[in-house]
Amino acid sequence: MARVRQKWRKWFRAIHRDLGYIAVALTLAYAISGFAVNHLDDWNPNYRFENRVVDVGPLPVAVDGQPDALQAMQNHVVAALGINPRSVKGHFQESPIEFRVFLVEAQEVRVDIRTGHGVFKALSRRRGLFELNTLHLNALKGAWTYIADGFAIALMVLAITGMTMMKGDRGLGGRGKWFVLAGLAIPVSAIIYMYS
Amino acid sequence: MKKLALVVAAALGLVAACNKGNAAEGRAAGPAPATAPAVSATTPVNGEPAAAGDVPGTKYGAGVKQPTTVSVEEVLANPQAYANKPIRVEGMVTDVCPKRGCWFEIAGTKPGQKLRFKVQDGDMVFPMEAKGKFAVAEGVLAVRELTIEETKQMAEYQAKEYGIAYDPASITKPSTQLRLDGTGAVIREQK
Repeated sequence: MARVRQKWRKWFRAIHRDLGYIAVALTLAYAISGFAVNHLDDWNPNYRFENRVVDVGPLPVAVDGQPDALQAMQNHVVAALGINPRSVKGHFQESPIEFRVFLVEAQEVRVDIRTGHGVFKALSRRRGLFELNTLHLNALKGAWTYIADGFAIALMVLAITGMTMMKGDRGLGGRGKWFVLAGLAIPVSAIIYMYS
Repeated sequence: MKKLALVVAAALGLVAACNKGNAAEGRAAGPAPATAPAVSATTPVNGEPAAAGDVPGTKYGAGVKQPTTVSVEEVLANPQAYANKPIRVEGMVTDVCPKRGCWFEIAGTKPGQKLRFKVQDGDMVFPMEAKGKFAVAEGVLAVRELTIEETKQMAEYQAKEYGIAYDPASITKPSTQLRLDGTGAVIREQK
């Protein structure tokens, strides 16, 4: 009996060790992204935004949003800011007084039709974080769903086999069980708080 | 043990390679070709037939299955006619949810006309780079009558979301909130 117990512990240790090595990269990726998306209310974890004040002068007056008039307003903005016309994707009259010109890479010029005052809005991806968040939040879908499922199973295996690493006083039968219970108390307390 | 590590790495590589096609769906399609003509938000699209399920572009969610398009202008003018019904709309993307990528807005044919296409967080993730591109979107139209207080709250929330000034005094009457609860979309560079 003791021999059998010894054998499964040996296997659990081997699984824990090697699965742990495989899971290192994804664990770090998910943890870093976890930090980033946890604070979504405070910052944008995917993009950086940059706004620059511009003044293009009063725009040609639009007549009830007629396409020609809107095109003339777009041409005015593009010429005034020296934008390469090839980088223009389109335009939209947001309100009677506000006109927008869309450029490549999600850039945009937004100006007051009457005065020409406005902003040039640019954004850039947070390199590294954008990609990690894409993986963490499974924006890729497809096969990544199965890889993420596999990783979730791996974490469960790591958690379970991790509890069997030590024997005796430092094992699960000793002080280990108190640590496990302390860890369990964290989510349980949060759930109780949620429904209280 | 080295062999085992190699086998695991090869298997993961294979899965990643299989994923390549799907991965393109969730990514931004990149900058528009230099020669792409500009899209105007005033291009009429009402009732235009199109091949269902054969819409070119980057597909999100279930894609597009409805054979006909209803213009944003028509939906905004007669929301009750389309309430709780699946419809397909199309137009230029004017805004995208900057944090979660969970909504985008489609321009109508007149100044200021926009319809929000919303999905559950994580169901589909639309990149900010979709702004200015052309979207074909499908979903069920949700129509909700807002009280004046709710209208103010909504305006305040949206002002915060867009980073623009909010003036509660400008809200003087109740409004109707329209939202297309999305099932799928296709986004491409131009119409």
